[in-house]
Amino acid sequence: MRSIRYSNNGKGHIELKDASVTFSGPGGQKIEALSATNLNIEPASFVSLIGPSGCGKSTILNSIGGFVELSSGQILLDDVRVTGINPEIGVVFQQYALFPWLTALGNVMFALKRFRMSKDERKQRAYAVLKDVGLQGREKSYPGQLSGGMRQRVALARTFVSSPKVLLMDEPFGALDAQTRVVMHDILLRIWEAQKSTVIFVTHDVDEALVLSDLVYVMSTSPGRIIDCIKIHTERPRKVGTVDEEFLKNRNRITNLLRGSHAAERQI
Amino acid sequence: MQTLLKSIGQFSVSISGVVLVWWLFANSGVVSQDLFPTPLQVYQAAIELHADGVLLKDLRVSLGRAATGFCIGASLGVFVGLLTARVRIVAVALEPFLNLLRPIPAIALVPIAIVWFGIGEGSKYFVISYTVFLAVWLNTHAGASEVAGTYLRAARSLGASRLREFFEVIIPASAPHIVVGLRLGAALAFLSLIAAELSGASSGIGFRLQDARQFIRTDRMFVGLIELGILGATLDYIFVFISRRLVHWESA
Repeated sequence: MRSIRYSNNGKGHIELKDASVTFSGPGGQKIEALSATNLNIEPASFVSLIGPSGCGKSTILNSIGGFVELSSGQILLDDVRVTGINPEIGVVFQQYALFPWLTALGNVMFALKRFRMSKDERKQRAYAVLKDVGLQGREKSYPGQLSGGMRQRVALARTFVSSPKVLLMDEPFGALDAQTRVVMHDILLRIWEAQKSTVIFVTHDVDEALVLSDLVYVMSTSPGRIIDCIKIHTERPRKVGTVDEEFLKNRNRITNLLRGSHAAERQI
Repeated sequence: MQTLLKSIGQFSVSISGVVLVWWLFANSGVVSQDLFPTPLQVYQAAIELHADGVLLKDLRVSLGRAATGFCIGASLGVFVGLLTARVRIVAVALEPFLNLLRPIPAIALVPIAIVWFGIGEGSKYFVISYTVFLAVWLNTHAGASEVAGTYLRAARSLGASRLREFFEVIIPASAPHIVVGLRLGAALAFLSLIAAELSGASSGIGFRLQDARQFIRTDRMFVGLIELGILGATLDYIFVFISRRLVHWESA
């Protein structure tokens, strides 16, 4: 089986221009989930959004994904306005969104159906990407027969196989135990370095954000907004588990910011 | 294998117990055996009906009617259920009407069915498929309207068209509900079959029951009832067997 070649044309530039999202609350009052936000996410970069729940990090993701409509402002993908769900923007969901009636292979092949290619080629690619995430031999298993970590590997494979320009990940490893999480970080970084999609990764785990990202955006609540941006200089390819002085310094900075935003929340 | 043996064992114990109590009661003299026949008398009545050549014929005719009615009702039910759940305009047009039909029992439709379709097969098919349709529609509708949002989002963001979303996500995602509806529909097909056969039929289990009443042949009635029980239970068992394989991911 040949190894998969990920083709990405190098783009995947995401811009948010004064993007805001307002929901109507249960009593009819307006809740500002995301206050006018400007973001410029460079192609092929790995960006994390971190913050307490309700800070709008998932809202940013959902509006880029086209699942949530902006109340004002706009989102651009390579200078083209994003108006809805777009297969160039892949999503790995928080809950397992694998189709339980399809095998691991079937789930991955589902993503390839929109391309003009023979069934044999689809199958071959799906086998290759499943091998890449370390699921060789489990291709014919149904999601119900796989562990949580394996299911998220299938989800990664299903999203990466079509080489989307942008990859949105909403706490994809939140439900996994610590060891499995480290394995998943390795797999994710390895495939991402081969493919160089732009990744926007939502998490509430500081270490996870620091290990994976080029940039970490720290967010705060009521209204949801970005309060800081931290650049991570650690060289790539990274070895998961390396803790240096910069790592500790950044961890302190983010932890203090998050604590501060919690304190501010209590005062309100 | 062991569980199969175990369930066969439990089944035999239960049946022999019931037959024993039945035999004791029928022979106790509390009620006349003309009204409550013994197991042996019922067995002899079955042999007699078989010798007349009607036992298997009734079975075949009734099964045929139930199957035809089931197929018509079930396919309509799945089709309309998917539409009312996923197509707004169909839901608005049909849902209130279908909810009005729901409380009308099959037996209430027999007179009108006879006027419309005569006492031939048509009226039986109509009554049975009506009952099956309602059960299958309701369950399909429930299943297809509750398809998890993440499946739909995932499908769309993986580039599936509306058409693919419908056939490759909505239908399999609602399959567990549809299968429940079909199983219920199969059971209801028998209920309405008897309702349909009790008036204006010249063969079938329901007709045989009615026919036996005219001669107060309770032993023959018991044969009919036992036939219905065995037929219904066997079909249900087969249904469960098939549906476990069809929607295998549900039990996993």
